[in-house]
Amino acid sequence: MPSKRQLTVAAGYVAASAVYVAVGVWYTDFLFSFFVGLAYLLLVAWLVPLCVRRIF
Amino acid sequence: MPLLLGSYAPDLMSKWFVYGIHIGGWDLKASDPVQFHRGWPGVGFTHSLLYGVVIAFLFWRVLGSKTWAVSFLIGQWAHAITDTGDTVGTMLFFPWTIHIHFGAWAYAGQTGRLTDAAAYFSGPGALWDLVWIVYGIFSWRVLTRSYFERHVFTADAFWGRANRIVPMAALLVAYRAAFFYGTSRWIAWSLWAHVVHHYPYDLSWGGPHWVNAEHSPSLTWLQLVGVGAIVATGAAVVFVSRLEFGRRSWAAIRSRT
Repeated sequence: MPSKRQLTVAAGYVAASAVYVAVGVWYTDFLFSFFVGLAYLLLVAWLVPLCVRRIF
Repeated sequence: MPLLLGSYAPDLMSKWFVYGIHIGGWDLKASDPVQFHRGWPGVGFTHSLLYGVVIAFLFWRVLGSKTWAVSFLIGQWAHAITDTGDTVGTMLFFPWTIHIHFGAWAYAGQTGRLTDAAAYFSGPGALWDLVWIVYGIFSWRVLTRSYFERHVFTADAFWGRANRIVPMAALLVAYRAAFFYGTSRWIAWSLWAHVVHHYPYDLSWGGPHWVNAEHSPSLTWLQLVGVGAIVATGAAVVFVSRLEFGRRSWAAIRSRT
């Protein structure tokens, strides 16, 4: 079974996915390219948390 | 990374021209999208087993990486074989230009990317994708940080080189991106097609039948015999080489003892 920490990480990705899906359904161009998905994920799962940690 | 590259390779340079794009006052689109995408003349050879072998050979000889060669080959073959599931199929045994096709789901690339997406996510193709999503969730351990660091990072020199300029945390996110993208787009297109636009599901063989699908002609008996001969030869080569490898391994073990 996954650990608590692993579940927390997974929950973060699920939340990121929910936003991606919401944007994609509204604006389908967002869904066509893997590279757009990669850039989005790097932004929300790495860059934004990194900036938040640096600021606070 | 090479596995992902291989899996995208057949459509990497061609899909935009199949669907068509509008740049300034120009409309760029193949006059016969199906012929261009899967046929010959066209770029259909990118969906053949031979194409994977040629590029894998280049990776092996030019980059000197067997990992990249084998991984690319697995990814490209997976794409080429998977696309035999639709009603057009692929020239799997190019330069033999017959299309191997099982006709499980409708090929609708010629209808444009939105109708194509609506059709794909309404038919058996959507179920096929779902199988891999569920399989990925059951294999969740491969997405963990420890698996990435112990097995993936160490197996492919690409990650080490990338790590000189990109932190490990970002590489881990990039590694997870393929599964994230595949799963998220499946959910998004399904919602778009069935909640927003109410396209009907048709999971019957060859569906959805509401779309104007393209079809390749059925294979003749003679062609089926030829395909059977190629597959049997391939299986025999694999079997004999495994036997030979086994013998050599035993000989090496005996010589050591």
